[in-house]
Amino acid sequence: MSDINCIVIGAGRLGKNMAIMLCKKNNVMLIDNDRSAFNDLDEYSGFMEVGDALDLEVLENCGIRDCRTVVAITEDDNKNIMLADICRQIYNIKNVYIRLKDSRKEKLVADENVRCVCQFDLTLDHFRSHYGEELA
Amino acid sequence: MKIVIADGSHQADYIIGMYNNKENNLIVINSDNNVCRYLSAKNGISVLHGKPTKESDLFDAGIENADLFIALSENDVDNYVACKTAKKLFNVRKCIATVINPKNVELFKQLGIDSVISSTYLLAEQIKNTANIENLISNLSLEDDKINIMEFMVKSSHDVCGKSLKEIKVSDIASVSSVIRQQQVIIPNGDTVLEEGDKVLLVTTMEHHDKITKVFQRKKA
Repeated sequence: MSDINCIVIGAGRLGKNMAIMLCKKNNVMLIDNDRSAFNDLDEYSGFMEVGDALDLEVLENCGIRDCRTVVAITEDDNKNIMLADICRQIYNIKNVYIRLKDSRKEKLVADENVRCVCQFDLTLDHFRSHYGEELA
Repeated sequence: MKIVIADGSHQADYIIGMYNNKENNLIVINSDNNVCRYLSAKNGISVLHGKPTKESDLFDAGIENADLFIALSENDVDNYVACKTAKKLFNVRKCIATVINPKNVELFKQLGIDSVISSTYLLAEQIKNTANIENLISNLSLEDDKINIMEFMVKSSHDVCGKSLKEIKVSDIASVSSVIRQQQVIIPNGDTVLEEGDKVLLVTTMEHHDKITKVFQRKKA
């Protein structure tokens, strides 16, 4: 499994769709601690691992050392932040992306070259740009 | 000292009891409303209901520039993020995180948390330290295992029994801080002679731990 170049952590709806999107051009590993999360993955052609991604042994078994990209999209903002720190500070992963529900937490990883996607901001922006005039 | 105690119930209560005096400014924040009421009523202090991982709640609690931040939640990840927030956004001087998973001790330290405590980890270390040496020695590690406080019981069969500290020649790798003889504490010097039944308390470094053990466990020729 040493040729894994992309790890997606969290197999929720977003995680699974992200993994399906990425597996077209990458060797993807999808990690979740709940086995039952791995359904609806007919279109996915990558690897899957049941385990706690905060356990370095699990990450290393998944090939994190040779990995270029990690996407952390678990349900828990705090977990995603800690995963980002592990990826940047311990494994020096080049591209780290995390999902945050609370965009105010972006400050915590602001200087670590971690890219954050905040659904709250995206929703608000969408409302503003598409329906702003109607709502005003 | 300005001390912040974040989450935790009984541990929080115990630590509040320890530090609640005129010399300290205690700030207690807890995400469980019932625990807030309990801690407040029991200790006669105000407890803020809020999440220690939330910047705005920590701001309301006024933790800026605190000397010490203690994260006691049962969720390891929350403790990590709480400490990180305190350090990064509120300039807190020192953070202590408790963890349930002993594996997280090393991990949290690698990620920059000053001090990490796991009761399971402490227990395992204690067992490791005492199991390989005879049980008459007790051992305490401080400052990330750099400093070792050791205790030896002198038996008549030991080589050190009847010798003076000068003759034992450990002064360059350890400092014998006291000798307990029949419930009397003796502050020793080079001429102090060790007798059977003496308890010797000494401070050394981790690297010299084995050497010291050997010296004090050696049987008479």
